[in-house]
Amino acid sequence: MDDSMKRLLQRLIRRIPAQMLKTTLDKWGRLTAAQKRSMDFTEPKWALTEKLMAIYEENGWTGKHITELEMTYIIDNPNQGMWYAFQLMDPEDDAHSVELTHFKEHFKSHLSELVRPVSIKIKKHTDEAVWIRIAWGDSFSRPNHLKPTYVVHHLQTPYVFVTSLTSKQKPLLSQALVLSTRHQAIKDANLSGRKLGAIRDLLMRQYQQVFPTNYPSPLAERNETVSNPQIEKEQVKCAENRLQMACEAFGDGVLPQLQSSVYKLETKFKDHSNKTMTEREQPFRCVVKFASTNLLESLRHCASSGIASTPVTPLLSSIPLKGRNYFVITDNGPGPSSQTRQTQN
Amino acid sequence: MSLLKPFSKLPALNTANILLVESEEQFQQSLADSLVEETSVTVNVRLAKSLPLPVKNEESRPRIDLVVFIINLTSELSFQSAEASLKYLDPGYFLGKVCFMVTNARNASVPTERLDAVRKLAASLHCPLLFAEDQTPGGVTNATERLLTMLKVAAGLVPMATALYLSHLTRCTVPPDIDQPSFD
Repeated sequence: MDDSMKRLLQRLIRRIPAQMLKTTLDKWGRLTAAQKRSMDFTEPKWALTEKLMAIYEENGWTGKHITELEMTYIIDNPNQGMWYAFQLMDPEDDAHSVELTHFKEHFKSHLSELVRPVSIKIKKHTDEAVWIRIAWGDSFSRPNHLKPTYVVHHLQTPYVFVTSLTSKQKPLLSQALVLSTRHQAIKDANLSGRKLGAIRDLLMRQYQQVFPTNYPSPLAERNETVSNPQIEKEQVKCAENRLQMACEAFGDGVLPQLQSSVYKLETKFKDHSNKTMTEREQPFRCVVKFASTNLLESLRHCASSGIASTPVTPLLSSIPLKGRNYFVITDNGPGPSSQTRQTQN
Repeated sequence: MSLLKPFSKLPALNTANILLVESEEQFQQSLADSLVEETSVTVNVRLAKSLPLPVKNEESRPRIDLVVFIINLTSELSFQSAEASLKYLDPGYFLGKVCFMVTNARNASVPTERLDAVRKLAASLHCPLLFAEDQTPGGVTNATERLLTMLKVAAGLVPMATALYLSHLTRCTVPPDIDQPSFD
């Protein structure tokens, strides 16, 4: 038992990059001042690991402390691995008054009833987010601390963000969440990404939005790059309109850093020059993926520079509007089905 | 159809007006900044994404002496937009007052057919075809100098030279074996 905890500590130290080790340990706050002074952070990692193992023995730490350290590290550096967003549906009457202690008790008890043994750690972060770390065990083995699941939930919102969850664990977690937040169902929000902050900002609309207005003067004023009177732009109005529509669709200023968007098409093949494919009855399946370092920024630029036609097509504008980046598109029935497309779950 | 006409307005003293048409609206800005720095002549630059130009600017627009179509060879859209804009020019412009400027010709991802198509277009209209490098300040300066040479002639500011005469010397020609496969 002690051995596995030691191994856990070793793996954790190896995982934390050298430059973050000092700050993480300070934030964790379990080292005494003397111990902190004795740690020389210019030494190589293996030397630091050995020192920390010695301090582990000295202070009598347990697994709880190590998982606490891991959680501290992950909370500060959440952008590792893929985060998936879920949405809670059909709130009951008292869903809006669920507060922290109530949520904690109920979540722990519900999840322990479903899975035994399980190790749950809940912590409230300063920005109103509740972080949950779950190490799953089953009837044959102890909780596996090497592959924990992290869950982030903002109380009183219907959004939950999860990372490292297997398909076996998913129904158990869903059940526990639904019961402890007083909702009736949970569904996949079809939004995933590496940056937790970005998908959270997108889903909760925490970026600057632009609303249709008759007097778009703020944006027009910001577009004053041409100050020389000898240079004159002919089509200023068109450019302004495009910029306004692009910003209405995607937002203004700095946008959440979404990295990809996937469209799964199950539509009939339409190309008049290719008769054999067009005559097939079954839908043509293909997947289109857009990837970028900042996808929303690129799409906004496409719309404002005229590469994508404005008004912005709903295929692109539903990424920020509906807060999702995975779409399944099917034909909407017979007739001019190339015009009518429907997104469905 | 609102055609842009070359001689329907009076010229101004010691002034030359140039219209830069570019679908992407990138290179035209740096070219414009560089063109207005010319001191011997007052250069007015008008920027557009495509033709036709908006009717409401008709009154305030001066007589355009030279129309330059900037085509980015890496984009098919750029070429198609320039081609589509050609029909909004009065035929009088094609007597030496239109020029094609092409960027990114050295880029490996450009299909050879596109450059050939631009060449054929320029040759069929008897217009010069210039190649420019838009990423460096040196390239922008170079392109500016060449445009200024043509602009001064087209505006009538160079004695003994007219735009039609210059275009006979500078117009793009297509080698007779352009449709043969090359040895790439």
